[in-house]
Amino acid sequence: MEEIDFKVAPESKIKKRPSYIKPWLGLKYLFKKPVTIKIPYEKTQIAKNYRGFHSLDWKKCIGCNFCGQICPARAIEMTWIEVDGKVEKRPHPKIDYGRCTFCEFCVDVCPTGALGFVENFMLTTEWKDEELELFDWVPIHPDKLREINEKFPDYRFPVGKIEFNKETKEVTYYLRDGDVFKFKILGYGVRPPAAAKPKPAAPKAEEAKKVKKPEEKKGQKSEENSS
Amino acid sequence: MLMTAVRAFLILLYAVFVGFMFMGIIRIVTARIHRRVGPPIYQPILDTIKLLSKKSNITHGLIYDFGIIYALGATILALMFIPIGGVSILRAYGDLILITFLLEIPMLGIMFAAMSSGNPWAGLGAQRALLTLLAIQVPLGFAIVALAEFYGTFSTYEIVMAQQTMGWSITHMPLLLVAIAYDLVLQAMFGKEPFDIMIAPGEISLGPMVEFGGKHMGILQIQHAIALFAETLFFANIFLGGAVVTAFTSPILNTIASLAILLVKQIAVLMIAIFVGAIFPRFTIDQAARFYWKWPTILAAAGAILAAL
Ligand code: SF4
Ligand code: SF4
Repeated sequence: MEEIDFKVAPESKIKKRPSYIKPWLGLKYLFKKPVTIKIPYEKTQIAKNYRGFHSLDWKKCIGCNFCGQICPARAIEMTWIEVDGKVEKRPHPKIDYGRCTFCEFCVDVCPTGALGFVENFMLTTEWKDEELELFDWVPIHPDKLREINEKFPDYRFPVGKIEFNKETKEVTYYLRDGDVFKFKILGYGVRPPAAAKPKPAAPKAEEAKKVKKPEEKKGQKSEENSS
Repeated sequence: MLMTAVRAFLILLYAVFVGFMFMGIIRIVTARIHRRVGPPIYQPILDTIKLLSKKSNITHGLIYDFGIIYALGATILALMFIPIGGVSILRAYGDLILITFLLEIPMLGIMFAAMSSGNPWAGLGAQRALLTLLAIQVPLGFAIVALAEFYGTFSTYEIVMAQQTMGWSITHMPLLLVAIAYDLVLQAMFGKEPFDIMIAPGEISLGPMVEFGGKHMGILQIQHAIALFAETLFFANIFLGGAVVTAFTSPILNTIASLAILLVKQIAVLMIAIFVGAIFPRFTIDQAARFYWKWPTILAAAGAILAAL
């Protein structure tokens, strides 16, 4: 066996002698400038790529639900969305910041690079229900986020208020720069909901052709539902 | 009679205000030693206003309320006996033993209230406070003996007057020893760090104060402010020469000048207490008792013997 030489620092070198005099050295900072960031008046410097809120390019997202599967907190729910009367062909992730741990695994796993994140980290609300809506959103386009961040460099959540109409399922984002962004939530989950099933272009064409037979269509639908 | 009442009220007002400023100074200087900015100097006043305006007050019976009032009353009484420059009220009767005794009474009042709350933490704190109180008696007794022996009188005012002609107490060797011992005792009377065993934030969750809230705590804050003022004032009077200015012809100018001089001396005493409090960690209760019966006692006893020679 080879002999191993362990290096152990001797006791005498580690142990300090107690003293009544030395603690007075602690006073040396009395007239130095305090090391403090006066937060409301001074700004902190946030690290580049500090893991904060998400951004989502709605055009790139293919609704694969990879992000929903990797999320350790199950904070991501796929959402079917209708913007300006047009149904998005693929579901988009909706992120619940009540659960999110900001690990950004979802960003790393996204195959198309649709999901990203910005350095914003401040989101404070009161206890009211309508304010708590802020914690649950489908992220907006990264360019829009950058634009808002340039206007308000205080690392706050880019949306000032989110309104969710329970009856019409209409969501309204009141962005901090004054823009209003509206869309409808048709349903949740990976499978398309009934409202999103008819392809927006096709049924219109059909309707135009078969205007005279609306009753038939209704009958078909009810059969489908019952079966 | 009425004049006396007005004067007593003015002294009280001044003491409360300066005491709160002292509390603010303590917080700012401690913060600067830690390289922090600290709160504004009037922060303790805001704290007290907040505490006094709380809606719910918990009380555990008569003694619980009475103990607090008792502590406040004793502190105010002590203040009245200590000469503040030329304007004190009962200075003719203000002898050393009486004032020393009255400055310790508030601790007893707080103990009463704490014990009647039935909280085990408060009981623990009260126990420690009483042991601290016991421990500081020995050096304190020797200090009084030394002073009385040196000046041949117990009257605080006469000691102040004697220092006008003979120079400050701390310039005499025996009394310098006594002053050092007394300063170490002050640390426990303020409830500052090496000897804040009875309050011990973090260790026994505020000790006696653990159960107080709202108005009780607010009154205790006021009491603490007056106690800070009274204790520093007493030290400045007996060791730092007090202040009786007769340089000006107008009595008002004389009063203001003597108050200003006293204030500087009080802040000097306070600063030492803050520095010691900020750089030394807390003793355990047995260490504190052993410490007080050793070094301050030896110093004060040596001072007493030297003064008697
Ligand atoms: S950052 Fe992490 S916890 Fe948050 S949604 Fe993405 S995967 Fe889930
Ligand atoms: S954000 Fe990325 S991972 Fe999530 S569904 Fe869209 S494409 Fe897939």
